Amino acid sequence: MPLTGARLGALAAVLAAAVLVVTVMALAIGSAGFDTELIRTLRAPRVAAAAGVGALLALAGLAMQSLLRNPLADPYVLGTSGGAAVGALLALMFGVAMTLGAAAGALCAGAVLLWLARHALATTDDASPRLILAGAMLAALFGAMASLLLALTPDQRLRGAIFWLVGDLSGAGDPGVNLVAAVVFTAWFVARERAIDRLLLGSVAAHLLGEPVRRLRFELLLAASLAAALAVASAGAIGFVGLVVPHALRLAGVQRTRDLALLAPLSGAGLLVAADLLARTVALPVELPVGAVMALAGAPVFVWFLARGGR
Amino acid sequence: MSDAPPLLATRALTLAAAGRELVRSLDWRVGPGQRWCVIGRNAAGKSTLLRALAGVSEIGVSQRGAIDWQGRPQHDWSAVDAAALRAFMPQQAIDRFPITVARLLELSVVRPRHDARAALAALDLEPLAARPVLELSGGERQRVALAQCVLQGAPLLLLDEPVAFQDPAHQALVARWLGLSLPRDQALVISAHDVNWIARTATHVLALLPTGQCEQGVTADLLEAGLLERVYGCEWRDVGGVWVAD
Repeated sequence: MPLTGARLGALAAVLAAAVLVVTVMALAIGSAGFDTELIRTLRAPRVAAAAGVGALLALAGLAMQSLLRNPLADPYVLGTSGGAAVGALLALMFGVAMTLGAAAGALCAGAVLLWLARHALATTDDASPRLILAGAMLAALFGAMASLLLALTPDQRLRGAIFWLVGDLSGAGDPGVNLVAAVVFTAWFVARERAIDRLLLGSVAAHLLGEPVRRLRFELLLAASLAAALAVASAGAIGFVGLVVPHALRLAGVQRTRDLALLAPLSGAGLLVAADLLARTVALPVELPVGAVMALAGAPVFVWFLARGGR
Repeated sequence: MSDAPPLLATRALTLAAAGRELVRSLDWRVGPGQRWCVIGRNAAGKSTLLRALAGVSEIGVSQRGAIDWQGRPQHDWSAVDAAALRAFMPQQAIDRFPITVARLLELSVVRPRHDARAALAALDLEPLAARPVLELSGGERQRVALAQCVLQGAPLLLLDEPVAFQDPAHQALVARWLGLSLPRDQALVISAHDVNWIARTATHVLALLPTGQCEQGVTADLLEAGLLERVYGCEWRDVGGVWVAD
């Protein structure tokens, strides 16, 4: 049943409490136990980075689902993250700012996807499985391109294949930009909620209600691409956060874009902090890439969603 | 009579798809208070005509001639202004996301109406308000779509087969509501197949013939065996005031 009012508030409180618990655990637990200096200099930035990337990925997923009117859309599954990785690699090779390259790559991938989806979106046709397949092929193509670029570049300055293809938080750097960006995207979603909710009824329905469908789509494409690009630039291509988080919230009864835009980044942040905690500690002293942990958990969940008929 | 331009008018409108003229050179005026019903065989072009009247472009359909809304060419209207003038109900809505009927109806409001609650009650929709749209039956979803159009608050309602999935009781309910509750400033263009339902509901009929020619007039004058035969290509009998196809 759809959640409203007090029950929605209760869900938000439970989620916030869970995120708080996970964050405290992630700060306290690690290879060297409890050490305030270690927490301040190493774990806190790492947790903040995970939170920022998780929030951005959840928002990117929400934007792509609204853009393609498909609850199974996700920047990793549909190649947007792969496009960002290829763009970032090319930017590094040619000495351009990496985030810029990632944004360009993500935009290109998103634009191709939108072009492939144009007929289905112009009518009310059901082309979802085809679109998901096309996106998966796009993701495979970008994965192959990233592998090729990595193989052709002997430069040791480039981070390894695991980082670009699976995602890893070990070298995430300053999380400030990502956290600010997540807040900005959330505010944008809340401001445009009515238009986006109408777009979810279909492009014809939204047009009939007076919404500027093209402009809205462009804004969503921009939001999805930029959010995915920022996430990829700091942590590589981590999958399934953008799919699982909004989907689980919808299953729990959250129906409005406004509520999703507030709860999805919160949950995405908590999910990635938890996944990173697991990745850091489960095989001590070895640190696993968090992207592999997410994919191990996320891929079966995606298949389960698909098997349920995409609802 | 006022000199105000009609809500909807076509001038020499021709619609063609797949090399066939569905509608040929249609001159037509729809004024406030009129309830038009478009009749024709399957694939005669009823849906194509309604979509064109609503200003929804369709792949593979070519359009000549003009469609005016309140005397102004359709393509001069902004999307926002158009939303306040016409509402369109497609044959079938395809839902993807789990929202409630109440939220869907809330999103459908463009010009708030004072009689919105009465309309929902008349369409037997109040019990559905908290239900997710993905779980509705075809008939329930269709009545919700009808309510969406009403709540939009536009004076021109274009409804593509609004009773196709309704049981007899709800067909009667919709007919009664369309006949009685429609404000004087509103006009209605519906497509439907049930000739007896049409005879009861529509004030005017526009018939699309297989040749692409159109005939129009007041329901009582136009709906006779000869026209029905030309429209549907089968014989018709009047059995005690009820039309029966042979």
